[in-house]
Amino acid sequence: MSAEPHAASGLAETLAHVVVLAPLLGALICGLFNRFIGEKVAMFVATALLFVAAACAATIFIGHWNHSLHLPAKPIRLATWIDVGAFKSTWSIRLDAISAVMMIVVTGVSSLVHLYSWGYMAEDPHKPRFFAYLSLFTFAMLSLVTAADFMQLFFGWEGVGLASYLLIGFWYHKRSANDAQIKAFVVNRVGDFGFALGIMAVFFVFGSIEFKQVFDQIPQKADMMLAWGVFHLPAIEIIAFLLFIGAMGKSAQFFLHTWLPDAMEGPTPVSALIHAATMVTAGVVLVCLCSPIYEAAPATAGFITVIGAVTALFAATVGIAQNDIKRVIAYSTCSQLGFMFFAAGIGAYQAAMFHLFTHAFFKALLFLGAGSVIHGMHHEQDMRKMGDVARHMKITFVIMLIGTLAITGVGIPHTPFGFAGFFSKDAILETTFAAGMTGNTAAQLAFWMALIAATLTSFYSWRLAFMTFHGTPKWKADADHGHDHDHGAGHETSDSAHAHAQPAVAHVGEVAHDAAGSHDDHAHHAWHGPHESPLVMLIPLIILAFGAVFAGSIFYDAFVGHYAKEFWGNAIYTAPDNNVLKDKYSVPTWVFYAPLVVMLIGLAAALYFYLFNEGLGKKIADRKGLAHAFLENKWYFDELYEAVFVKGARALGDLFWKIGDGKLIDGLGPNGIAAALNFGSKKAVKIQSGYVYHYAFLMLIAAVALGAFILYRGA
Amino acid sequence: MSMNQTMTAELFFQQVPYILPEITLAAGALIIVLIGAFMGDRGSRLVTWLCVAVMLAAGAMAVLHMPPEQVVVFSGSYAADGFSAYAKLIIALTASSALLLSVDFLADKKLDKPEFPVLAMLATLGMFIMVSAHDLIALYVGVEMQSLALYVLAAYARDDAKSSEAGLKYFVLGALSSGLLLYGCSLVYGFTGSVKFDVISAHVAASRDIGVIFGLVFILCGLAFKMSAAPFHMWTPDVYEGSPTVSTAFFASAPKVAAAVLFARVCFEAFGPAQKDWLGIVVIMALLSMVIGALFALQQTNIKRLLAYSSIANMGYALVAIACGPEFGPKALLVFVSIYAVTSVGLFGVVLSLRTADGERVETIAGLSGLSRSNPLLAAALTMLLFSVMGIPPLAGFFGKWEIILATSSVGLLPLAIALILASVVSAFYYLRIIKTVWFDEPVATMVPVGTATALTLTGATFVLAALTLLIGLVGSAATIAGAGFS
Amino acid sequence: MIGLSHYLAVAAALFTIGVFGIFVNRKNVIVILMSVELILLAVNINLVAFSSFLGDLVGQVFAMFVLTVAAAEAAVGLAILVVYFRNRGNIAVEDLNLMKG
Repeated sequence: MSAEPHAASGLAETLAHVVVLAPLLGALICGLFNRFIGEKVAMFVATALLFVAAACAATIFIGHWNHSLHLPAKPIRLATWIDVGAFKSTWSIRLDAISAVMMIVVTGVSSLVHLYSWGYMAEDPHKPRFFAYLSLFTFAMLSLVTAADFMQLFFGWEGVGLASYLLIGFWYHKRSANDAQIKAFVVNRVGDFGFALGIMAVFFVFGSIEFKQVFDQIPQKADMMLAWGVFHLPAIEIIAFLLFIGAMGKSAQFFLHTWLPDAMEGPTPVSALIHAATMVTAGVVLVCLCSPIYEAAPATAGFITVIGAVTALFAATVGIAQNDIKRVIAYSTCSQLGFMFFAAGIGAYQAAMFHLFTHAFFKALLFLGAGSVIHGMHHEQDMRKMGDVARHMKITFVIMLIGTLAITGVGIPHTPFGFAGFFSKDAILETTFAAGMTGNTAAQLAFWMALIAATLTSFYSWRLAFMTFHGTPKWKADADHGHDHDHGAGHETSDSAHAHAQPAVAHVGEVAHDAAGSHDDHAHHAWHGPHESPLVMLIPLIILAFGAVFAGSIFYDAFVGHYAKEFWGNAIYTAPDNNVLKDKYSVPTWVFYAPLVVMLIGLAAALYFYLFNEGLGKKIADRKGLAHAFLENKWYFDELYEAVFVKGARALGDLFWKIGDGKLIDGLGPNGIAAALNFGSKKAVKIQSGYVYHYAFLMLIAAVALGAFILYRGA
Repeated sequence: MSMNQTMTAELFFQQVPYILPEITLAAGALIIVLIGAFMGDRGSRLVTWLCVAVMLAAGAMAVLHMPPEQVVVFSGSYAADGFSAYAKLIIALTASSALLLSVDFLADKKLDKPEFPVLAMLATLGMFIMVSAHDLIALYVGVEMQSLALYVLAAYARDDAKSSEAGLKYFVLGALSSGLLLYGCSLVYGFTGSVKFDVISAHVAASRDIGVIFGLVFILCGLAFKMSAAPFHMWTPDVYEGSPTVSTAFFASAPKVAAAVLFARVCFEAFGPAQKDWLGIVVIMALLSMVIGALFALQQTNIKRLLAYSSIANMGYALVAIACGPEFGPKALLVFVSIYAVTSVGLFGVVLSLRTADGERVETIAGLSGLSRSNPLLAAALTMLLFSVMGIPPLAGFFGKWEIILATSSVGLLPLAIALILASVVSAFYYLRIIKTVWFDEPVATMVPVGTATALTLTGATFVLAALTLLIGLVGSAATIAGAGFS
Repeated sequence: MIGLSHYLAVAAALFTIGVFGIFVNRKNVIVILMSVELILLAVNINLVAFSSFLGDLVGQVFAMFVLTVAAAEAAVGLAILVVYFRNRGNIAVEDLNLMKG
């Protein structure tokens, strides 16, 4: 509670500059100059700069939280980017509660992931490239969250997409990684198309793309209608919907979620940073940032609620049938993002941001913990080949346990005792119930779906823990080829379209993986069981573990509690009739306890199936029942898209290419003319007979003809 | 009387500097032919170098003695101006380059006799007279001087049936065209009362005589034959193919410059006021040349034949420049033909260098297969020259065409410019086919390295082309000055 | 009275005969040489007739040049013909098409 908040405003600006520019500097130095300054120095520079940025971001965030630092009301302008007529865009740094939260999340997780990668990527030959990409991603993500207009937001949006693409395919020798990166890119294009249209619509309706100017005008434009074909739709709804399409793509929501599990082909630190803690939450940030728009667009908000709830439930159901440890966590991410979205949809933006915040800690923790397991198991990702790892990796086990407790939401209601996930998830469920009480049908639906999803979350999270760390070790049985090529569901699901027909693909990919120099080269001959990871990997885990334990209880009041209005300030707008945040205190008592109960149900089920009756899960899977196959194959989304979009697009492309371009355009155009010329010249050459008298005759005819022509014209 | 004689003699000697290049060439040719006669075949190499030196000296003189404005000497029969000086320089340069190219080839074919360079030099003298001709007699004498030497050059490989047939064909058709030209000259003389261009021009400005018009048509037909513009082009492919390649290299460069410049001078100076009449002829010839040059070349497998059609097409482009009239035409014409002539020498230089290890001369396009591997430098030079003649920027050939298109747009002859571009597109096909053969086809035979003189010329031509690319502004302004006499 | 037009008519007739001689004849190249001479003579008649009627000597000077060049042309033509005959053994115009297309 500083007495002179204004004096500190300059400090915040300086710190913000460092936060945004340090990762860019790191990326440039590490990416461009690693040959001059050496690999280790380059990596060190990138990591150090990230920690500096994280320290600055932490100062801003803590300062804002305890009111010792005053955030500037106006965005800091760095440079003019576009200035064409009315269309103006500035590279700026927007400092408010949302960007403060996002900055600490992004730089915090990113710096820890940088550090972790020293261990995880130790034997990779392309480390500087990896670090440069990581830093580049961080810069792009920071430009996204600090944008003051839609254009910079879009720049950051595409920047993180690019970094994600580059990092998913980091092991470019791997066929499956290449497929996955292209899939991520293409699916995101669908979302980005909507997003770009949304920005255009914003400019069309408001004449500006600057957040402040746009949001200030919303009350005047509330009744504006846009003609779209035969439809006349409210302009705000259209904008809100289009922007949400972009958010769906980036945040892997239902229908556009298919890329996220495949993105696990990237190195695990990437999955932790990009595909769990930061980039995939960009959609949530967008919706919260545009809260003035969504508050004025009830229909789209309802749509968001439904999509979020469906995603939460859908991903959770799929998660229970996956065997690849990273995929389980990926579906879990997808599901948690669904929670955030429906929270935002019902108007509890603060709860969404809170869950985003805590989720970043425990999901990064889970991923990095899984990475530690994978590292210790020599790149084994199939949980069916694990078991009893706890004895060999004690620290990792404890950390994963904390992560699991956090994600499943363990805590005691009405007390400050509980893991981070408990507070944020409860906040979401309570606000949703509260919204349902006001007659919001979508919210009522979302609440019940979320409750089921929470049960399933608990089940698959504990299943993961038990299969990995307890039970009988399965890895001893095939210790001599601890690096099994079959690799389980991992590859089968990633190449669902190809793997069954082409087992060789997986094989080749795996060999290439080795060639890429991942650090399991030593595994083949001296396999002594799982080993604990080095300290450089454990330290980030321990730091994150603290976050996963305490982030919820410490920041509850500020984010969604009594100080929420003060904390968020102007960053999040809630309509006057939107009281869900207050109403959540007046829900029936059973709602407070429901999450805990469903968590215990999930735990019990997991205990029954995977600890007490080990092998039961496998038996169910081996029966190849319809339901299990449905879940294991992710509701057959990939197959559906393959049949409809991929094949359809190819057929359409063939039509345009072979008939349209080949036959019509080329046939009548270049090829046709060329053929005609060729034919004509073949005939014409016969005139050149070689006989002198023909030539002489032609000359005379020509002379006479020319003379006649001139006389005729002259006359 | 004696005073009159003194004055005449004085006048004569005052006028001599303007024909110094021609005197140098004539005297040089006579002396060199004597040297050749005394030294016999041994002296052929020396004679060649001497001829080259004399021709370059003559070209330099033409430029050094270039009067600031047009001077007409010898009672109005001979013009010295920037236009002719520029053309003479180009003619001297390309003719001597072609002569340099001949050394290795002729020695290889046991044809290295002193006659070849001397004949080439006499033809060059004819060309000098052509570009400076300012009356019909000088025109006729210049054309015939050039042609008679060229007939012999075509038939120079006297034991080769194709060569002698080429010579005979060239001679018969050339004689016919000379007849047409001469008949036209006689009509123009009769109906205007003078052979001098300025008098003819004044007469044409005053009245439109059927006889003069017919004379004009016949003269233009005769000149079109010399510059191988369609429909008087038919000798070109046959003669190019049959003649020894060194002669072809010569035909394709300097005589084209001379004929195009003479054509332009006749149109602009003698028949300037009758532009309405000759414009139609020029446009028809230009269009026909471009179409035939582009279309017929598609079917060729022999490189020399292909280059013959290429030269027909290029003369079509030159005619487009002439069609632009005295104000914008001369500059475009000079820039274009000078670049074309240099490119042409370079291209024939490559063809002349194509010799397989067993002494075979390569004349088919297929024979170029895989040249890039057996002789990458030659392949690179050929590629660059072809890109230039195609008109790909930033090579010099592009600027030649560019000047013409600019000129057409200045006078509103856009349809001709469009035809030029279309013809260039079609021609690009066969040039690209050569490049494809050179770089992507499997090698058929190994080429032996190029001889010194050829390498020198080839490097020179490529270098000049590259330099022209950089100095195109200079060339342009030189040509502007040179062409300024008409506007 | 024989006027200018008569001379011109004769010259035109000779010219036409000469031109026809070149492309109607398919047997002997010598005939072509003769035809060329005919054309040049036709031109000379034109020139001299014009010169006389114009009262201008230039036409006759021109005629002298034409005669000289014609002589040189005939010499060159015959020389080439001899070379051709040595190579091919005949001088038929029809056989004169090794090159075409």
